[in-house]
Amino acid sequence: MNSTRKDELRGFMTELLRKVGDHVPPSDSDSLFVSGRLDSLAMMTLVVHLENAFGIDFADGGFEMDLLDTLDDIETLIDEKLSA
Amino acid sequence: MTTGAWDDSRLSGTSGGRGARAAGWNVRNLWALEDNARVVAWVATRIGRTALVALFALVLVAANRGYRAEPEWPVFLVACAAACAYAPRYRPVTIFVATMAALLKQVWFPHAGLIEIIRQEGVEFLSPTGFVHGALAAFFVASWAVLGYARRNKASFVARRPVLALLAAEALLCGLALVPYVHGVARVTVWAFLTVFSAYIWFLAYALVDQRSKDPAPRLFQLGIFHPFWGSSSTPLGKGAAFLRRVQSKTPEELSVTQIKALKLLIWSLVLTALSRALAWLVEGRLQVPRLDSVQAAFFRGEPYPIALGWASLITATALGTLWLAVWGHQIVAVARLSGFRLPRNTWRPLESRTLADLWNRYYYYYKELLVEFFFVPTFLRTLKKHPRLRTFFATFMAAGVGNAVFHFVRDIDVVATRGLWGALESYTSYVFYCVMLATGIGISQLRTNAGRQAPASPLGKLRAFLCVWSFVVCLHVFANETRDYSLVQRLSFMANLFGVY
Repeated sequence: MNSTRKDELRGFMTELLRKVGDHVPPSDSDSLFVSGRLDSLAMMTLVVHLENAFGIDFADGGFEMDLLDTLDDIETLIDEKLSA
Repeated sequence: MTTGAWDDSRLSGTSGGRGARAAGWNVRNLWALEDNARVVAWVATRIGRTALVALFALVLVAANRGYRAEPEWPVFLVACAAACAYAPRYRPVTIFVATMAALLKQVWFPHAGLIEIIRQEGVEFLSPTGFVHGALAAFFVASWAVLGYARRNKASFVARRPVLALLAAEALLCGLALVPYVHGVARVTVWAFLTVFSAYIWFLAYALVDQRSKDPAPRLFQLGIFHPFWGSSSTPLGKGAAFLRRVQSKTPEELSVTQIKALKLLIWSLVLTALSRALAWLVEGRLQVPRLDSVQAAFFRGEPYPIALGWASLITATALGTLWLAVWGHQIVAVARLSGFRLPRNTWRPLESRTLADLWNRYYYYYKELLVEFFFVPTFLRTLKKHPRLRTFFATFMAAGVGNAVFHFVRDIDVVATRGLWGALESYTSYVFYCVMLATGIGISQLRTNAGRQAPASPLGKLRAFLCVWSFVVCLHVFANETRDYSLVQRLSFMANLFGVY
């Protein structure tokens, strides 16, 4: 697991949370979207970030919102997309 | 905001910021039973479980009094939920059996269109209920087969683009039901299947999406949550199997917390019911404010009520509608939570919305989620990548506008039987107008949020935001009314009258 990438992701998600007035940094397994902390617009902001930062094209295959719920989930998804 | 945002979130969880609540000893802390380790541990005992389930049943019976004729219905729901929660190994079977039992007891979707077709075809000797049950059996068998096919063929069109495939099937069935060459029993059969297909289309869509995952849920579970026993509308409350598996309680502690939150939510629904009745009694009873349908009928008769009374009626209708939605959703989510699923609330503090996009998220969560997953996300991922602002706006429009209109047209497919295709489309213009206005409003709201515009923090700013958001909602309520009684022009003239310009 790439800790720098995880830290960068954590920083990005913390900033998204801060924008909606939530100042608690997320742990690796904290639910971010299912819990209601972030909404679908924030999800799409994350998608754009992943597209730009990692060159991932989500239009290529299936996209399930539930698979981006935690930092661990996002990390796993990036690994899967990059190795595909 | 501190951890409070997490504590008060839609989701019932186990780690809800206990530290934050430990400070201070007030009513809110007392009510936060799920944060009390001793209470949670007690609820996990046999006596605790029995007490909680019995109390839940009592509250559910009280909540249903006056709504349902059969007092055994709440008991049936609680028994199914308890079986589901305490025998997790048999959960898929329990849910499937309970859902089928609930369906046999009462067909949950309207089928007036089928009855009308039976009348049109002059075959009144046929039983509509028999046809519905037959169509249900055929639909569940077909769904089983399609899910298996999608699982085996992940590159197939139905697996990759389930919503497009299902909407194409809906259009095909509708076309078949309308061609002049199909008559008699054949036409009734097609309509019966179309009715069932329209009712379950979004449940099947979630199930098909789940087939793409590495480890899809068993098909028995997938079919069991097609309008599960805990309730739903055409919108799946609890989404699909993937989501439910994610939020199901995995430890006895999680289950206890979830069930305590279930009971609390049910009690809250009772409070909201009382509030709703008090509001209706005060406004409609004591203050003699007529109902919105009476106000509209009087206006179209040429005998309009005073403008102030019209506004009072419209505001009351919006408030009562919101309260009804909250109560309905809370009761369904409460039963699902008692079953062990940590479902987020359907309606969550809508009065605290500071923007229209925020309200969209809080008002009818599972409907919003459906539109986001099946319309917003696919559009967003595939179009206008080089134009970020337009990309968001267009995707929002496809969800809140196009998706919203498609959803309701499919849901109300009965109208095609009673009015014909053209009549159904013509009477739908008002709702389409509502969708366009709503989508535009939400789209602009999202663009403003995206541009970094902060929600107001001061009391005055919050009040102004509240008034802006809810003024928009109240005005749109004139067009959101889903009856087909009045045309768009009539509703626009009614609206103009409320503003004193017509």
